[in-house]
Amino acid sequence: MPLHQLDDDSFEEIIYDNGEACLVVFSRKSCHVCQEVVPVLEELEYKYHGKFGFYRVDIEEQKTLFQRFSFKGVPQIIFFKNGEYQGKLSGKVEDEQVEEKISNTLD
Amino acid sequence: MENCYDLLIIGGGPAGLSAAIYGGRAKLKTLIINKGAVGGLVNATREIVNYPGYLKVSGPDLMKDFKKHAENVGVEFLKDEVISVDYNQVLKTLTTRKGKQVSAKAVIIACGSEPRLLNIPGEKRLRGMGVAYCATCDADFFEGEDVVVVGSGDQAIEEGMYITKFARKVTVIVLHDEGVLDCNKASAERAFNNKKMEFIWNSTVEEVLGEENVEGVKLKNIKTGSSSILDCQGVFFFVGMIPSTSFLRDSGLEIDQKGYIPVNDLMETNIEGVYAVGDNRVKYLRQVVSAAGDGAAAAVAAERYIEEIENFNAKVLKSDKKVLLLFFNASVSESLQYGAMLEEIVSECSDRYEIIRVDTATKKTLAKKYHIKDIPAAVVLDKGEKIKDLEISMDKEKMKFNLFS
Repeated sequence: MPLHQLDDDSFEEIIYDNGEACLVVFSRKSCHVCQEVVPVLEELEYKYHGKFGFYRVDIEEQKTLFQRFSFKGVPQIIFFKNGEYQGKLSGKVEDEQVEEKISNTLD
Repeated sequence: MENCYDLLIIGGGPAGLSAAIYGGRAKLKTLIINKGAVGGLVNATREIVNYPGYLKVSGPDLMKDFKKHAENVGVEFLKDEVISVDYNQVLKTLTTRKGKQVSAKAVIIACGSEPRLLNIPGEKRLRGMGVAYCATCDADFFEGEDVVVVGSGDQAIEEGMYITKFARKVTVIVLHDEGVLDCNKASAERAFNNKKMEFIWNSTVEEVLGEENVEGVKLKNIKTGSSSILDCQGVFFFVGMIPSTSFLRDSGLEIDQKGYIPVNDLMETNIEGVYAVGDNRVKYLRQVVSAAGDGAAAAVAAERYIEEIENFNAKVLKSDKKVLLLFFNASVSESLQYGAMLEEIVSECSDRYEIIRVDTATKKTLAKKYHIKDIPAAVVLDKGEKIKDLEISMDKEKMKFNLFS
């Protein structure tokens, strides 16, 4: 299943207002590495359903959202809990790395 | 069986897609397993100007055409990643990351390559914070900034020129003497004329510097041994590729020290029914056009292999009689003579035997299976099991004796 896509408002609500433990992947259609990483997350979302949130932001469509962070590239996976930044993974990542970060975030 | 195919192709780049087109056209039930977007690394190429028939085409557009062609001949696609293989049986089995098992009579490995990392300090830590490997993905994040490109091959120089559309300045770090680039001449000329491009010769990058983001690189001149620091906000590495073959390490497949798979001109690996094509095999030129050629050759070789195996299963395994597998080659006249005499004996004195001829000029699989070295040769089989190698004699009485004793 495709990941739930966030815009400015829903980002604010889910990350900061609700403080949900979750990850957000910033990606773009023209990035082939993103095309490999996003399916890995889609697969994992199923496993963590109800325990950890998975969201995505298309940086072409949500430019201002991306500019809030000083990132220099995609894909970027950002981890949040209680409205606080917990860490990130950049570039091509394997599912083991994502799962490790998720468990660190949940601890 | 639902997950059983004639031909399985690992990888959906130009080599895999071309193999699939040939497989589909030959009416083989063909599946491509591909982990990312179909098209593979070609998707990262904005402009292809040397694929015949296309004056200028983008990588993703060309791959869309390849994919459409494959779909048109009935090829199936599975978006998943192969994590282990079992090549020990006649029917090869692959297991995917999502836990699916698929099997096939023949497998073509076309899983390509991935960017090589230099593994220098700062490279991994600052990835996505200024360290990048794909200009299409990331160049526009460096609008008005200073960028370093490492490498001087086609990819480094062409991507470097693309980055100048956004960056204030692009400095290329080149290992060679002044004026020497590894890329094609046309690109080198354009790069030298690009006012935003600068070159630092005889040098390598030793470290990527910066706390949160890239702030510079530490360079080393390999001639003088002296180090220097160059301020920049981005570093793009284009220092070659490594084959994506690590998942095959324990499969029994022969892989060379660098990870490439050696093959013959039929794209056959050391395992029967397993082929390797495109960037992941040992080869001279790694281009879309040569990848496509590889795919075609492997699919035809696989088709003939499957035909030989199926013919064997249908005729030899299901025969009520004992089977005499007669290996011949039209260029060896003795083998034709021997074959004629064998036919004569069998038709005269026995209905216990059926002769099946194997032309070793085109059919290689069975000859290999029964270790046939010299022609003529004959093997006696009962329900597919070998009973004996027939001793070769050109004397008719002796032949009878050998056959019926």
